[in-house]
Amino acid sequence: MSLFEGLRFRPGTTFIHRLDPRVKLATSTMVLITAVIHIDIVIILFLLMLESLVILSAKVQNLWIKTIRGALPLVAIVFAITFFSQYSREPVISTGLGYALTYSLRLLVFLSSFSLFFLTTTPDEIALTLQQLRVPYEYTFAFVSAIRFTPVMAEELQIVLDAQRARGLEVDKGPFTKRIRNLIPVLVPLLVNVIRRSYELAEAMEVKCFGASRKRTSLKQLNMSRKDIFFLVVVLILFSVGVSVKLLGLEPVKTLPLLGQFFPA
Amino acid sequence: MSAIFESVHYIYPSKVHALRGVSLEFRPGELVALMGENGSGKTTLLKHINGLLKPVKGRVIVEGIDTRTASVAQLSQVAGLVFQNAEEMFFESNVFDEVAFALRNFGYSEEVVRKRVEWALKFFELDTYSSQSPFLLSGGEKKRLAMAIILAWSPRIICLDEPTIGQDSLQKEKMKHMIKMLNTQGRTVLLATHDVEFVAELRPRVILLSKGEVVADGKCEEILTDETLVKKASILMPQLVYAFKRLEDLGFDSRVLDVDEGVRQVLKVLRHESV
Amino acid sequence: MTIIQVRDLSFTYAGSSKPALKNVNISVERGEFVLVVGPSGGGKSTLLRCLNGLIPQFYEGEYSGKVFVDGLEPDKTPTYMMSQVIGMVFQNPQNQLFALSVEADIAFPLENLGLARDEIIQRVEEAMELLNISHLRDRSPFELSGGQQQRVAIASVLAMKPKILAMDEPTSFLDPLTAAQLLSIIDDVRKRLQLTVLLVEHRVELAAAKADRIMVVSDGCVVFDGSPRDFFEFYDSHLYGVSAPKVTSLTKRLKTHLEKWNRVCLSAEEFEAEVRSLVSHL
Repeated sequence: MSLFEGLRFRPGTTFIHRLDPRVKLATSTMVLITAVIHIDIVIILFLLMLESLVILSAKVQNLWIKTIRGALPLVAIVFAITFFSQYSREPVISTGLGYALTYSLRLLVFLSSFSLFFLTTTPDEIALTLQQLRVPYEYTFAFVSAIRFTPVMAEELQIVLDAQRARGLEVDKGPFTKRIRNLIPVLVPLLVNVIRRSYELAEAMEVKCFGASRKRTSLKQLNMSRKDIFFLVVVLILFSVGVSVKLLGLEPVKTLPLLGQFFPA
Repeated sequence: MSAIFESVHYIYPSKVHALRGVSLEFRPGELVALMGENGSGKTTLLKHINGLLKPVKGRVIVEGIDTRTASVAQLSQVAGLVFQNAEEMFFESNVFDEVAFALRNFGYSEEVVRKRVEWALKFFELDTYSSQSPFLLSGGEKKRLAMAIILAWSPRIICLDEPTIGQDSLQKEKMKHMIKMLNTQGRTVLLATHDVEFVAELRPRVILLSKGEVVADGKCEEILTDETLVKKASILMPQLVYAFKRLEDLGFDSRVLDVDEGVRQVLKVLRHESV
Repeated sequence: MTIIQVRDLSFTYAGSSKPALKNVNISVERGEFVLVVGPSGGGKSTLLRCLNGLIPQFYEGEYSGKVFVDGLEPDKTPTYMMSQVIGMVFQNPQNQLFALSVEADIAFPLENLGLARDEIIQRVEEAMELLNISHLRDRSPFELSGGQQQRVAIASVLAMKPKILAMDEPTSFLDPLTAAQLLSIIDDVRKRLQLTVLLVEHRVELAAAKADRIMVVSDGCVVFDGSPRDFFEFYDSHLYGVSAPKVTSLTKRLKTHLEKWNRVCLSAEEFEAEVRSLVSHL
């Protein structure tokens, strides 16, 4: 659950929060691409620093830490695997560590790139973004519905669990096979509930003219302000620098011999 | 005592303080109605009886067992809880197995399971459906099955959460009958309900809850006719009580819970006036 | 002016052997408030769904007879057109709200219809004001109480400006106080907009006095169609799964005991008025 806690419902008030979601989406994408094309430790650290700046200015560092905490086991695995595979090729501890650090920090940058977007954008804004990016409405609606009904389903799960426990079901006892079997009295009613709910929802959608018009309009609209454009330009400049550095082979790791010893190029 | 609540506090993970120092005693064989608006703590209270929820402060003792020391499975054997949408917990392919599920969980031998299931189904007039899928039963039959499921292991305490929601008058009549019968069998019956008219017909002990606290506890006749209490708990007064209250200046007594009593009063006042 | 006309309507759900509706004939005048009651499974919900086209378009089955709703035939007209004439509110508040804010939810049907943004904004404001929920505009549906959710559901339907409002047990999931408040606001809105209302409801005591007409649907047939007062006076409503308001049962008995007792009352207020008038004449 901690990976998804980022999806809040009320908009924040910081500069980052108030940026147009499309700009944030573009920024996240560019950060991700830059991290993919580079394995240079300096660039990676630079990206991490930029991300941290954004997160701090948006005041969402606590939520970010919670999200990252969920992914720490994964990062640790990457660190270990990289270290041992590098060590087996070249038995120098410092190089092994250098490689491991690079790859695991890179993973962190990947994971955080879209945190910038999700932690500072409400689901409503995400839906609007998808709409204005001309994503077919069915997909946007599916996305919104998933968010809308997740808490409802969570509640439903608790209700079914309580009801079956009151009939003597013990979910946390017994051998593994028994525990799997014990899921049936919980999953079946839940599934039936989901199906029943979808019928009722479909009826209501029908009554609310879903699919009536090919040209669907919307209540709200995203408008880019001068601040948004300015921010986007800055990000674009940084991005082009990042890409050119790669294309021209000017990465710090290659140009600074000390780094080349310990870190991948 | 069937069940005792000693200064019970409960706070949900969402920080909602649902029960604030509730102290109550339920005697064996009592019929009790828990009333109050949505969010007053009725369901939370019922869930403490079979251990689904354990008190954050204070303790709950059911049939001599402290609920904090027992599992839900153990407590459920003495305290059955029929949820609001109990018909939505079915999962077996036939009615027999559906009723047998709980009994098998409690460890009864297959022989005893068979006897009890047959008894429960017969009692609720569902024996002809024994091999049918529970999903194909009608609304009323499903509700009876939900009751049969709980009664099969004969718990001493039965808790019903909103048993009359969405039902027509014929179904409610049946439910009233079943509740009275459970009570006659010597079981302690606790009803969490909004249905004031239904409660007025049963004349149980009434406990009013508001924002997690007990605001009233006593005779149905006294509590449902008290305007201040009714307002505090945000419930509706029985229609007759409300009507007669408006006529108190003409000598009417608003402590009227059934039509017979109402007829008597009106005749008395009108005939008296005319003499 | 007749706004709903149903002639010889019969319907059997696909896969079912028993007809849900048998030769139903009814007509409803513009502006009437009709209370639809009867035992569970008797056909009330089915009847409502035949009026807005959900039957036979969404629910398949054997369909015969003719239905006219404001001149449109629900079996032949696309449901989105029917929804602009007859709006429908369902029992479960949770399963009618789709968006992540109240505002967005009320706008949902209007967006689907492709209305211009200005039009949408205006209609959403009006609908929220009607149901007194403007202060809830940014809240997400999950945080709202059942009563608030139903108000949003109603506002969403009214935003399409239908002439008829059909409601299938809208207070089922609400406590009596909230139910009474909801029905009161529906009555208010009905009068302000001059809507025709069809209300399926078990809690008869909350609506009997306000309704112009009562329709009792049992076993697929309309067994009574007329004034609520007549129904309760001449029929044992309990046999049809309808709980008579206690005051009504009381006054029905009084009528037999007391010659001067004039009428069967449908509410506590009517009962009070009746008693006072009798007392003053003594």
